[in-house]
Order: sequence, then C-alpha cells, then structure tokens
Amino acid sequence: MLPVAVAVIALVYPKVFRLPYPQHVGVLVCMNALMAVAWNITGGYTGQVALGNTVFFGIGAYTSSLLLRDFGVNPWIGMLAGMALSMIAAVVLGYTTFRLRGYYFTIACIALAEIVSAIVVNTRRLGGAVGVTVPIREASLINFQFHGTNKAPYYYTILTFLAIALLVVYKMERSKLGYYFRAIREDEDGARALGVNAAQYKLIAFMMSALFTSMAGTFYAQYVMFIDPMSVLAQPVSVSMCLMAVLGGLGTLWGPVLGALTLIGISEATRVTLGGTGQAVDLMLYGLLVMLFAVFQPKGLMGMFGRLKARKE
Amino acid sequence: MALLEVVNLTKRFGGLVANDDVTMSVNEGEIVGLIGPNGAGKTTLFNSIAGVYNPEKGKILFRGEDITQYNPEQACQAGIARTFQIVRVFKGMTVLDNVMVGAYLRSKGEADARNRAIEVLKFTGLYPKRDYLASALTIADKKRLEMARALATRPTLLMLDEAMAGLNPTECQAAVECIRAISREGITILMVEHVMEVIMPISDRIVVLNSGKKIAEGKPEEVSADPEVIKAYLGGKYVARS
Repeated sequence: MLPVAVAVIALVYPKVFRLPYPQHVGVLVCMNALMAVAWNITGGYTGQVALGNTVFFGIGAYTSSLLLRDFGVNPWIGMLAGMALSMIAAVVLGYTTFRLRGYYFTIACIALAEIVSAIVVNTRRLGGAVGVTVPIREASLINFQFHGTNKAPYYYTILTFLAIALLVVYKMERSKLGYYFRAIREDEDGARALGVNAAQYKLIAFMMSALFTSMAGTFYAQYVMFIDPMSVLAQPVSVSMCLMAVLGGLGTLWGPVLGALTLIGISEATRVTLGGTGQAVDLMLYGLLVMLFAVFQPKGLMGMFGRLKARKE
Repeated sequence: MALLEVVNLTKRFGGLVANDDVTMSVNEGEIVGLIGPNGAGKTTLFNSIAGVYNPEKGKILFRGEDITQYNPEQACQAGIARTFQIVRVFKGMTVLDNVMVGAYLRSKGEADARNRAIEVLKFTGLYPKRDYLASALTIADKKRLEMARALATRPTLLMLDEAMAGLNPTECQAAVECIRAISREGITILMVEHVMEVIMPISDRIVVLNSGKKIAEGKPEEVSADPEVIKAYLGGKYVARS
C-alpha cells in the first residue's frame, strides 16, 4: 500500500508542481536519493564506511562529458562507459583498501578520493581546475538533454534511475548477496568462518555502489551542463551521500530515500528562508538539525518509524 | 585414512612458539577432545586448522588435501565448520537469518537455504526462537546458534571452541546432548574444552597439549591416568574424583 502511494506521488509530482524550482527540488531529491541508495550498499548493508564515493560520481560525470565533448559520443553510451570505468575503479580501490578495517578503511577512501581529485585538477586534458562544459545538443531523450523551464523530463529520467536502483537493492536484500553483506557487517570473521569470501563480497558491494553512483554522476553532468572537480570530485559529495543514508536508516531499502528527502528539504528550506543574508545562517541551522537527528535518532528515520509501528501494535 | 591429519605443525608468534612440532589426527566419525592448560596452544592449533593462522612448518591434511595455507572461508568450503570461543553471532540479524548465512554455502537459491536453515534450527531446538534477534539470546543459546550456523554449512568436520564455557550445569548437559546428536548424524567433531567433566565422558579420544607440545593422546581413561598429564594439567583433583 505505502509503496504504491509513494510511487503515485512521485509520478504526479511534476504534473502538480509545474514551476521550475519545485521541479528542480524534485530532481535534487531523486539524484541524491540515488547516490544515498548506492552508498547504502557498501556503507549500510556491508558496513564498510566508504567516504570516497565522490570518485565514482566524478568518473560518471567526467566520462560522459569528455566523450561527448571530444568525440561526440552520445551521453547514454557515455553513461555506460562511465559505469564500466567506475566498476573497474571500484575493483582497484577495493583491492587496495579492503585489507584495512574500520576507520582505517574510511581514511584510505578519503585519501584516494583526494588523490583522484588532485590528478584531475592538474590534468589539462581533463579540464583541470577550470572544469568541463557539456556541449549543448538538441533537446531530446536520445541526447539526454532537455532545455527550457520544464524540468519534468529530467525528473522522470532520474526517477527511473532511482527506481532501478531500489529494485536492485530490493532483490539483493532477499538474496544470498544480501545475507552475506549483512553477515560481513555484523562480524567479518564470523562470516568468513561460514565460508563467506568476505574480500570478494565486499568488492561486489563496492562495485554495485560504484555503478549507481556513476549513473548519478552522468545525470548531474547532463543536468547542470558544467562539471569541475569542486562540484563532482569533492569530499562534501561523499559525505552527503553518507549523511543521507545514516539519517534515513542504514541498511534499509527506503532509509536513504527518506534521508535524501529530509536533508534536501531542510537544506532547501533553510536556504530559501534564511539564505542570502551572507551570514550562512541557513547552513548553521542545517548543521544543527542534522546534529539533533544524529543525537535523538541514532537508528535513523526508519528506526523512528519502526518504533512508532511497534507502539501501535 | 584419517579425516584430518596434523603433521609436525609449528606456529610461532614472534619469539613465542605456540605450537611446537604437533602431530595428531582425527578419524572419521570420532569425537576428539583437545585439552591443555591455559597457554598450551589449543586455540592456536584450532585456528591453524580453521585457516585463521598459516603455520610456518608442518602440514595439515583434510581428506588427503593439503589445507595448510587455506584461509577461513576456504577451510569452511572444504568442509570444516567452526564455532568461536567468544561468540561471533550476527547480533543485528534474526536467529533464522544467522543460520541462513551458513546454509547458503551449499544451497541453490533462497528456498533451498531456508529449508536447510529450518531443518538445522529444528535439530538444534532453536526453531521456536527463529525470529528473535541474535543479540536477545542467552549465552547458551548464542553458543547453540553458532553450532546451528556451522551445521548449516553441511560440514564433514565440526570444530567447537569451548562450547561449554560460561554455561551452567543444566545448559552444559543440554549442549552435550546436542553434540552427541550431531555426532550421530555422522559428523566428526573436534572440540577444545576446559570443562573436564564434560569432555572426558563425551570424547572418543583426547589430545593433550602443554606449552605448545603434544604430551599425550589416547582414550579419556588412559589420558587421565597419564602421569605427565596429571602433572601438567589435571592435578590431583580430577584423578581423586574418578
């Protein structure tokens, strides 16, 4: 019942809200939800707090944009290429970092993301610090570009991506993968003693995560039409995915979506009402709200709903 | 041929020789007890067989296959399942899901794994508690859950690391019954144990370690009469009682 209601609301949203701004917020929510769902596969289900996923976001954004700019490759093909490249990157990063556990793994992720960012900033061929402007093509689904004030086509595109990711995670939860991922999160040595090849399954989780993050990266590039290391290869990108998943509820299907909805909601609301004062009051309030959530809802919003449900019963 | 053969095994931690030239074997269908005072090297030997440690010298053969350099998952895939001295249940998962993880090793698909898990839960008596979170179980049930989880992988050899530690006499008795039942299913058992009253009656054979070396091996009554063993470990108490 609830999923159907959510699906209906998601589908009619741009029909009801026809102005560019609310549609833009809808796009932001879906895009961030996709990234948080992707992050949740490694961070939530498998319990590996990877704070370097901006690398995959960046690879997705840069691959499609550079292929389009320099070789005229269609962005959809660029997106697939980005996804493939992200999975390769996940294998390389995974092999080098999965030996480390806990905080050390997280630190290694941050460091690797910084290295990738520094490489791009210093490579002229990749646009350097200036970034890459995505060439404008005729607006059409084939070209993955929709101009004008109606953002509904972008909205439906990212909503479809999000739906695919949620479907994959839903299937994953109920399969061997889901059980093994959670077992690794709960106790890696215990899982290995039951024949779970932890290194291999962590890598699979990382690759799945990379795949969807990369999709979001290409979408971002096609939506904003301009990318640079500050926007797609930056630590805040990695942190916000994590924040949304944690806030919504780690290792749950809908947690990251709920987290994205809440965080984007708070961030946009504070920005619209308090932004522009030049005193960053909006960011302070945003930070405060995030802290309050962290203190009072350590299991995330899904945990809160779980408690309410339990009380009713 | 023995199911498990440990040949001249030596494992060092820096300057400390935890296992010194240990040779022992476990035959198909046996219950073998591994005992020794604290620091004797029981857990080290146990962990070497289970793939946690890779010994420097010597060999471990399982069904004739050299498993000396295996890692834990390979050992389990080969047919050696284990429990942990300090329980490592998946606390945030239900009892059923815990066992499902083990069951997936040799199952095709979810339904098959679920059937296997339910079968094992019924066998170990945990079925009524299948929907509990593992963290909500008593220590006795957690140890039992570890056993169930290990059994779900369909092992040839089940290794129990102090399965009775921390249990009260009633719980101990129940655990002994469970181990006997597992043995009747044709699964070979190697157990490390501190509780002498438990391991003596249940074991077909006992291996005694002291300071990393094997000092005795044989039937429980032979071992408990061995002066070397009495001196090293049992002390006068046990002998006087039997």
